[in-house]
Amino acid sequence: MTAPLIIDPDAYRRQSPEVAARFEKLKQRPIILEVDKLRKEFDSAHGSHVAIEEISFQVRRREFVCVLGPSGCGKSTLIRILAGLDFPTGGDVRLDGKTVRGPGSDRGMVFQGYTLFPWLTVKQNVMFGLKVGGKPGHLAESEAREWIALVGLSKFENHYPHQLSGGMKQRVAIARALANNPRILLMDEPFGALDAQTRAQMQSYLMQIWRQIDVTILFITHDLDEAVYLADRILVLGANPGRVMELIENPVPQPRTPEQFQSEPFQALRARLDALIHPPSLHKEDKLPLTRMTVVGDDVI
Amino acid sequence: MRRSPLIPFAPLSPRLRACLGWGSFLLPLMVWCAVSYVPVLWHPMVRIQDRGDITYLQPGQLIDRHTLARENARIEAIGGTPATGKRSNPIFLPAPHEVGTALYRAFKTPPRRANEPWFHESIGHSIRIIFTGFVWSSIIGLPLGILCGVYGSVSRLTEPVVDFIRYMPAPAFGALAVAILGIHDAPKVAIIFIGTFFQQILVVANTTRKMDPSLIEAAQTLGAKPRHLLFKVVLPGIASDLYNDMRILLGWAWTYLVVAEYIGASSGITFFINQQARYRNYDNVFAAILIIGIIGFVTDRILDDLRLAVFPWKSEGKKPLLFRFLVRNPPPPAGDAA
Repeated sequence: MTAPLIIDPDAYRRQSPEVAARFEKLKQRPIILEVDKLRKEFDSAHGSHVAIEEISFQVRRREFVCVLGPSGCGKSTLIRILAGLDFPTGGDVRLDGKTVRGPGSDRGMVFQGYTLFPWLTVKQNVMFGLKVGGKPGHLAESEAREWIALVGLSKFENHYPHQLSGGMKQRVAIARALANNPRILLMDEPFGALDAQTRAQMQSYLMQIWRQIDVTILFITHDLDEAVYLADRILVLGANPGRVMELIENPVPQPRTPEQFQSEPFQALRARLDALIHPPSLHKEDKLPLTRMTVVGDDVI
Repeated sequence: MRRSPLIPFAPLSPRLRACLGWGSFLLPLMVWCAVSYVPVLWHPMVRIQDRGDITYLQPGQLIDRHTLARENARIEAIGGTPATGKRSNPIFLPAPHEVGTALYRAFKTPPRRANEPWFHESIGHSIRIIFTGFVWSSIIGLPLGILCGVYGSVSRLTEPVVDFIRYMPAPAFGALAVAILGIHDAPKVAIIFIGTFFQQILVVANTTRKMDPSLIEAAQTLGAKPRHLLFKVVLPGIASDLYNDMRILLGWAWTYLVVAEYIGASSGITFFINQQARYRNYDNVFAAILIIGIIGFVTDRILDDLRLAVFPWKSEGKKPLLFRFLVRNPPPPAGDAA
């Protein structure tokens, strides 16, 4: 998709009255997740490497926040720390005001690699969190059925993951994470492995689910269009070391539709993200030092 | 156009697979038949029918072909009648049909002495030794191997010394086992145990380590505690691979059988083989060796079939034959996209 020329680089800051009113309302909502001066260093044989220098931000209830950044910006490290799978070197992560000290069912996670348990059927996968949480079998089963129905896979509840397509597997993973009623759903490039068509479909499913369920979503991606299409706010990270470049309020009105891709606010924001993630200075590095190896007159037409 | 079969890892058609599979059995059998039934191929001996004037020969006796020719030439030179006979193979290479009948006859023939076991009793005894040794090894080796795979500390404390001990051949412990455990079944079981146990720990630990770590993380984000991770994620996650390991280890245990049965008072199939060799019934010896192979192979095939029923997600679309009744309501094939 080619972006039309945006004259004003600050166009993405202009919000229509409805969008502005919506953000005002969002700001009234209680804070669910607070990331405070987060820092992460990894020790390696060559000394320590700073993955995240300092990241701070807040997520409010039922908000959809996308984290966007180039590779090496520490976005996966960030979400792993939020999930409790990694531990910060400094700073604090607070969920509902309580510091996070490890993984827990109050934060659901959807991974890029599906991570469904291959030995369990769709239904048993969705029941997993409920059962380790101590819910009796028949209750867990009926709840799992509801979640499977929500992602539209009732026909497949007795299938094993290897019998499903990538998009179906990721829907099961979403149902499995939501079944625990998490306060926040962490999604680590969940649609990155899917083909473009399935990805668009999954984005639409996710928006519908988000509207129906009381859940806050933090979504990691490196796809600009995906971020603009899904997010209320976009946290743009810079690389080496990871740090916040900008936290942007998305001027595209809700509810989102694919038609909005061509709209002015969409393109304005997209241009801004593009400028942040691919600064003009970087384009020079894209040029290969090639010499011409074809016969003169045999040019690419 | 067809893909060249010389490209590495080129797939085989199901028909070719089946043909080659049968062929791998038929080919050696055909070679055996050819050598047994076509005299010109080998047949280095002659079975005497009429001894002529060579007085020291007996009818039915086997004698080397060239020796006989020499003796006949000598007798003919002095005007005697040469011996005649049928070319045949040495006594240690019976023909397929002889082994076939022996296989059947061995079960029907009562032991020569009252205190000796029947053939089927010998087999039963051998299977009991293998089974006992293997079960004892697994009772300790499986949990220990899994713990080694899961926890680095257990692994570091266990695996270096196990790696050392496994290079000591199990039969080397034979004399020691007899001294400690007596001459009957116990030392034989001990040899099977030693032969299996140390390999088992390492194999099981390796399989456990191959578990996909992202599944552990996914389970943690779903609220699983360490005990859940062990019993509801690691164990079911590695179960199908462990099952295959156990199949292979059981095969190893079989290879230790004959050595184990030599220790102390010879028993089981080994005792049968030795007795029959002493009586020069080599067809029975072949029958007994074949029986060991058949039992091992059939067990393995049955266990493989059971695997398809117990671990349907690892079956790659294959259906069990014998254990079809264990498969509960097979799901319909996936149809929808996305």
